[in-house]
Amino acid sequence: MKKLYIYASLIIGLIFGSCQNYLDIVPDNVATIDNSFNMRVSAERFLFSCYSYLPKLSNIEKNPAFTAGDEIWLHDNYITPGWQIAQGNQNVVDPFLNYWQGTRSGDDLYQAIRDCNIFLENIDLVPDMEEGERLRWIAEVKFLKAYYHFYLIRMYGPIPLKKENLPIDTDPEAVKVPRNTLDECFEYVVELLDESTAYLPPKILNESTELGRITQPIALAIKAYVLATAASPLFNGNPDYTNFKDKQGNLIFGTTYSAEKWERAKEACRLAIEAAEAAGARLYYYSQSGQQYNVSPDLEIQMNIRNAVTEKWNDEIIWGHSNSMTDNMQVQATPRGLDPANRASAGARGNAGVPIKIASIFYSKNGVPIEEDKAWDYAGRFNLRQASAEEEHLIKLGYTTANLNFDREQRFYASLGFDGGIWFGQGKFNEEEAFFVSAKKGDPASNVTNATFNATGYWAKKLVNYTNVITATGYNREQYPWPIIRLANLYLLYAETLNESGGPSSEVYQWLDLVRERAGLAGVVDSWAQHSVNPTKPLNQDGLREIIHRERLIELALEGQRYWDLRRWKKATEELNKPITGWDIEQRTPEGYYREKVLFQQSFSTRDYLWPIRENELLANKNTVQNPGW
Amino acid sequence: MMNNSLLFGCIAFLILASTVLSFEVQGNEKSQDKEQVLQTKEVYGTVRDSVGPIPGVSVTIKNTTTGTTTDLNGKYILEVPDDPNTTLVFSMVGFDPQEIVIGNQTSIDVTLQVSSTQLDEAVVVAFGTQKRTDLIGSVTSINPSELKVPSSNLTTALAGRLAGVIAYQRSGEPGADNAEFFIRGVTTFGYKKDPLILIDNIELTSTDLARLNPDDIASFSIMKDATATALYGARGANGVILVTTKEGKEGQARVSFRLENSISSPTQDVELADPITYMRLNNEAILTRDPLGRLLYSDEKINNTVPGSNSLIFPSTDWRKELFKDHAINQRANLSVSGGGKVARYYVAGSFNQDNGVLKVDNRNNFNNNINLKTSSLRANVNINLTPTTELITRLSGTFDDYTGPIYSGGGFYTRVMRANPVLFPAYYPVDADHSFVKHIMFGNFEEGNYLNPYADMVRGYKDYARSNMNAQFQLQQDFGFITEGLSARGLVNTARISFFDVIRQYEPFYYQLGAYNLRNNSYQINIINPDDGEDYLSYQPGEKTISSTVYLETAVNYNRTFAEKHNVSGMLVYILREALDANSATLQESLPFRNVGLSGRATYSYDNRYYAEFNFGYNGSERFYKAQRFGFFPSAGLAWTISNEKFWEPLKSTITNLRLRGTYGIVGNDAIGAGRFLYLSEVNPNDNDRRAVFGTNNGYSRNGVSISRYSDLNITWETAKKANIALELGISNRWNIIAEYFREHRTNILQSRASTPASMGLWATPAANIGEAKGKGIDFSLDYNQSFLNGSWIQARANFTYATSAYEIFEEYDYTNEWWKSRVGYPINQRWGYIAESLFVDEAEVTNSPRQNFGEYLAGDIKYRDINKDGQITELDMVPIGYPTMPEIVYGFGVSYGIKNFDISTFFQGLARESFWIDPEATAPFVPYHYSDQERNSGILYRNQLLQAYAESYWSEDNRDLYALFPRLSTYPIENNTQSSTWFMRNGAFLRLKQVELGYTLPKSITEKLRMSNLRIYANGTNLLTWSKFDLWDIEMAGNGLRYPVQKVYNIGLQASF
Repeated sequence: MKKLYIYASLIIGLIFGSCQNYLDIVPDNVATIDNSFNMRVSAERFLFSCYSYLPKLSNIEKNPAFTAGDEIWLHDNYITPGWQIAQGNQNVVDPFLNYWQGTRSGDDLYQAIRDCNIFLENIDLVPDMEEGERLRWIAEVKFLKAYYHFYLIRMYGPIPLKKENLPIDTDPEAVKVPRNTLDECFEYVVELLDESTAYLPPKILNESTELGRITQPIALAIKAYVLATAASPLFNGNPDYTNFKDKQGNLIFGTTYSAEKWERAKEACRLAIEAAEAAGARLYYYSQSGQQYNVSPDLEIQMNIRNAVTEKWNDEIIWGHSNSMTDNMQVQATPRGLDPANRASAGARGNAGVPIKIASIFYSKNGVPIEEDKAWDYAGRFNLRQASAEEEHLIKLGYTTANLNFDREQRFYASLGFDGGIWFGQGKFNEEEAFFVSAKKGDPASNVTNATFNATGYWAKKLVNYTNVITATGYNREQYPWPIIRLANLYLLYAETLNESGGPSSEVYQWLDLVRERAGLAGVVDSWAQHSVNPTKPLNQDGLREIIHRERLIELALEGQRYWDLRRWKKATEELNKPITGWDIEQRTPEGYYREKVLFQQSFSTRDYLWPIRENELLANKNTVQNPGW
Repeated sequence: MMNNSLLFGCIAFLILASTVLSFEVQGNEKSQDKEQVLQTKEVYGTVRDSVGPIPGVSVTIKNTTTGTTTDLNGKYILEVPDDPNTTLVFSMVGFDPQEIVIGNQTSIDVTLQVSSTQLDEAVVVAFGTQKRTDLIGSVTSINPSELKVPSSNLTTALAGRLAGVIAYQRSGEPGADNAEFFIRGVTTFGYKKDPLILIDNIELTSTDLARLNPDDIASFSIMKDATATALYGARGANGVILVTTKEGKEGQARVSFRLENSISSPTQDVELADPITYMRLNNEAILTRDPLGRLLYSDEKINNTVPGSNSLIFPSTDWRKELFKDHAINQRANLSVSGGGKVARYYVAGSFNQDNGVLKVDNRNNFNNNINLKTSSLRANVNINLTPTTELITRLSGTFDDYTGPIYSGGGFYTRVMRANPVLFPAYYPVDADHSFVKHIMFGNFEEGNYLNPYADMVRGYKDYARSNMNAQFQLQQDFGFITEGLSARGLVNTARISFFDVIRQYEPFYYQLGAYNLRNNSYQINIINPDDGEDYLSYQPGEKTISSTVYLETAVNYNRTFAEKHNVSGMLVYILREALDANSATLQESLPFRNVGLSGRATYSYDNRYYAEFNFGYNGSERFYKAQRFGFFPSAGLAWTISNEKFWEPLKSTITNLRLRGTYGIVGNDAIGAGRFLYLSEVNPNDNDRRAVFGTNNGYSRNGVSISRYSDLNITWETAKKANIALELGISNRWNIIAEYFREHRTNILQSRASTPASMGLWATPAANIGEAKGKGIDFSLDYNQSFLNGSWIQARANFTYATSAYEIFEEYDYTNEWWKSRVGYPINQRWGYIAESLFVDEAEVTNSPRQNFGEYLAGDIKYRDINKDGQITELDMVPIGYPTMPEIVYGFGVSYGIKNFDISTFFQGLARESFWIDPEATAPFVPYHYSDQERNSGILYRNQLLQAYAESYWSEDNRDLYALFPRLSTYPIENNTQSSTWFMRNGAFLRLKQVELGYTLPKSITEKLRMSNLRIYANGTNLLTWSKFDLWDIEMAGNGLRYPVQKVYNIGLQASF
């Protein structure tokens, strides 16, 4: 019997002894988050993770500034989330371009911020790093954290700030954080930017591997833009939000106007410009030297404008987005059939149409608005006219097109392609042989397939690098980092803040005129005095404000600035309630084609200034309130 | 191709059959010699059952075909060889056959016992067998012959045939037509919901079950309650299906084979509008949304198109006709040989099925692109008595699928036909004078050549795949009766290998389109669209390859003994180990072996066949959980009382032959709680391409980033199910047999994600925890009826009914105090929430004056929803529970079989109820692009939905503002407002169908004898013959899946013979 017990216990022991081990199959060195901070190499990957959330601004599907406003118009066979917003379909059930939750083509920016916080919490643990590099990385991540916060604030107004991460096992009630006040939000962003600036490099030295990383001028430029946004009418004393309270009854959207905010923004602009220029930034001028092409003076100015955007890492670029190379946007901007020899090629798609109202904002060749130019027949802008030898560098000789396309400033021709317009580059580098767009029904660039076409008759030429080549079956593209901010933007921002804080002065004119000069235009005071029906407009603050706004919309057209500028100026209720129009692209004759056709009647109300928060986020977080009107 | 394989099958059978026959013939000759020299004598007697004499009982001499039947008074007389060893066999449907050695008797009276298939039959239970009369747990077993349907898929036979099973079939595509089945419904909202499937104790998939040949099945049982499944511990909560295969019986080789040939065709085709209506409505769809929109079809085109004209200038292409045949012909054959002697017994079976799809084949290709699925299986079970107390069993089985078919699945073509344009181009252009040199097929297309041409997709290439599943099992049984009576032990090792690969060979089609044409002389030109892209040669793409292996080890000790004739005691302990490996894991964690260990036991006690008690437990460990959570103990207990065996019941015994009550309660688990494994570990990808960043002049420096897809939580563990079951068994006059069961279940620890985490927390992944709870309850009911009549005819009827419902008990969701209708708690697990559709908007004024609907563009003619919370806009808070659950709560079936002389006929009806389904408003929306997968979405091909005839007949238009039309205002792009989950597209899924009718004829003995056969039956049957439901767009059983490969109606003839 005793033996039996021994055997039995032996068997049982074997069975259960082996049980535990039998199930231990997970090896020890499975990856965990701690591994990321064991070595510099892995910490670098985490740094890159933090960068990876930078919204893909060159992407027409993701950047609301292209299609959610009125700058780019699409058609029913190419619908982007932004374009749904433009058509009034934004909603609380499942908002388009939801950057709060990372849905509907929005990026998850709160996740981005959490990553930044994890990095900042742990970066001190990395043993094999030099202190200088560690400080630089910390500064970069702080910048990113600030930028992500700012991106949300610009969309949603006051948001819950995430200064530190809540642990994963936080009590469910504690994660239901309320929204901070608007002022706290802007202050926190500025604070982070200030903390980061000192440790950022003034200039990237190791260009081949580091161009695109954050530098001092970038941080200062963003700070200037943040402060200018905070000082602008939407966020500075906006009476529309007097009752914007959180669940506890606190006002979270300050409605007192503060002139001091403009002062602060002005100062930030000055410092940003100084830092940028010290690092070698200057307005881009096309240089003939070393180029085999013989270009006309007109074209040279156009190249100033086109290349300031599309030439990668040119001197004007302060922040080039190396993680959002402009690729598909060039495909959408280039007319299908621009090269008549390859009209069957689907390489260039040309879906991104520019409405006539955008084409109308460009100045006349005299550097004043077409509706103010004494010599420009505004009422007859849709009348037809045949191109003469005088404008052969701009419009195909002998081509009949609308007056709207004649006698415009060079930025018009640099920014837009249109029926009859000359389009330099794209494989034809002899100006005499340059392509021109022919877009009436049956022409190469007209709508053939119903699936890829331009609904308005204007193409965003400005975004297309001139060295791209359309081939029989594709489109060879020179991709360029999306210019998030370039020097001209800062100049205009500085002029704006100067005028807002101190009214017209020679200093304001000076910054404006620098930009105008590069575009081949005379100074603002002279131009208005000579050509405008309102010759003294630049001399008073309100008139100059109009001029600065207009200059900004022209200079930065199609670069994703207009959308946010109209909002911060509170001009969207005016501009985005106008109809979207285009040429009657289904017509074969100039008489038929050059009729302004309404494509859509946009509507924009006060609530649309701020994005809706998705309904289920409000259910998950009962302490967060919805934006007014949603 | 098809003929070849048939021929091959026939030859194989002939060879096998002739070998066996020759062996058989020799054996028979000997016995005949013997008979001739013997004298004969007469025996007589009466045959009765517990009630009285029975007429029509067959009395035969064993191993011969000589015999008679009893008369009206149950009497018989038979001349038999005057040999004391002669054995008489008394048999009758519904009774156990009885064998009696005549010895010296001449008068032999016999009392037949009611068939053991109903009462005394040994029922397969977890790790063993029990007599049905002893059973306490809830087990449904079915006679495998009832699973015999004219299909190569066993799972399609389950619905309505087994009390306790909820089953339905959504697709009829060969190779992808598995029915979905659940035991007693679904009581979890966790991950795994379907039952554990064990074939000869080995865990396999529903596809393996589907491939099993019913002729090879010895027993098929469904374990439903805690007592029946507790031994499977952490894997038994969803019920268990247990199948064993046949073993050889001692005796001469017995060969049987079955041949079937069937014709299948869709039960119903979705009706599409004619091409002219299509064009007219497409134009309308453009204009009604955008009055300035460009029309797609000119009046010239609409007026000149004539359906079926084969015009190449104005094509009208009936894609369904171009692609599909009316029917497919399928063959099935199987053969088994069994027999053996004192030392060894064998059962060897092989089967071969050929299933063909309904696709047409283009003879200009030399490859076959129709679906041709050959499934074959081979099984060899051998039992060897090593010593009088030691038995060795080996079971070898393999199933093999060999498939040739188009590069997309058959279902893929049905969905393509539903999205191809019928008027822009023909399937292909005939070779004309200009293209006489062309070697390829000139497929039709339009503009850029990116329109969908399903015909080109069908003939452009083909796919081969092969799947095999090999199982080898070795089992050793030892009777330890020499130590103590009733003790035995066994050990079993099984290894399984499953492999799969597929290969695609295809070319890029050349597309042509119509150029200039001249209507006057009907001449036209065609131009090539893609001279650069097309290929006239095949290229090759290797596909998915999977390999997996499983090793299973089981040891058990059994004890079974009766003391003092009344006390019956049994006990069992089982120890199992299982390891599975998968060669194609995407991540390290997935690649680690899957392991289970478990110790289970059962103890039963019964007293005098009246009182029964049983205790079971499973003690299981799974590698999926953290050490502290790894092992679980799952006990269960049950009691039963056979009232009809009590003394006081004696007076009633002749009418109520059986009355029994039983009840069980216990706990079982479900360890498959999530798609991933090791849910307690965090999952970090330290090298994630999605979190990549890149810098440098020419983007020269890039590094992948880090991402987390799961956070660590050491507390994660299995789901627990507490199950209770009460059953009543009732037998009346040996004819009626009724089992009714009531069950309740409470499932706790269901893994669910924490809903209350706001996005502003910034988490990568929503954490999950074992917090959910659900409950379920229901009824299973089965009824059998057997009766034989004086004229030798017999009738059998059976019906069964399953009702299973469930409800969320604890579910973490948002705080819906104010919107109580949004809370899931108390609602069934498959309940759907949606908006209440009031009607279509009548005009723009109504649109303006109604609450704002937050789903994008909407106009008059779009769906108007009800503002439940009266907040002035329609948001998710206005969703309410709508309809029945998406899984039927009631599944039932009933059938009658009747036999007279050599004929038999049976019918079987099946139905389900309390199910709602939704017509997919996106997949059916006419003219709108729709994609079934991202692959389609990114292909650049234009998929535009066809126009259903039903929609063409009833839709909202500006001229005919029908507020309750079937389809809202037309559009050529998706209108999100109309595709919300709502009552508009909700339909009742209830139906009843004539599932099967079978007519059989068994050849008279006189003929079969001449053929040296013991039995030969020919039969014809059909499945899915008639359906009754209120829904008529497609076969209702497919529910929302109706545009895919339809469920098939099958007519079948077969032959079954044994000798």
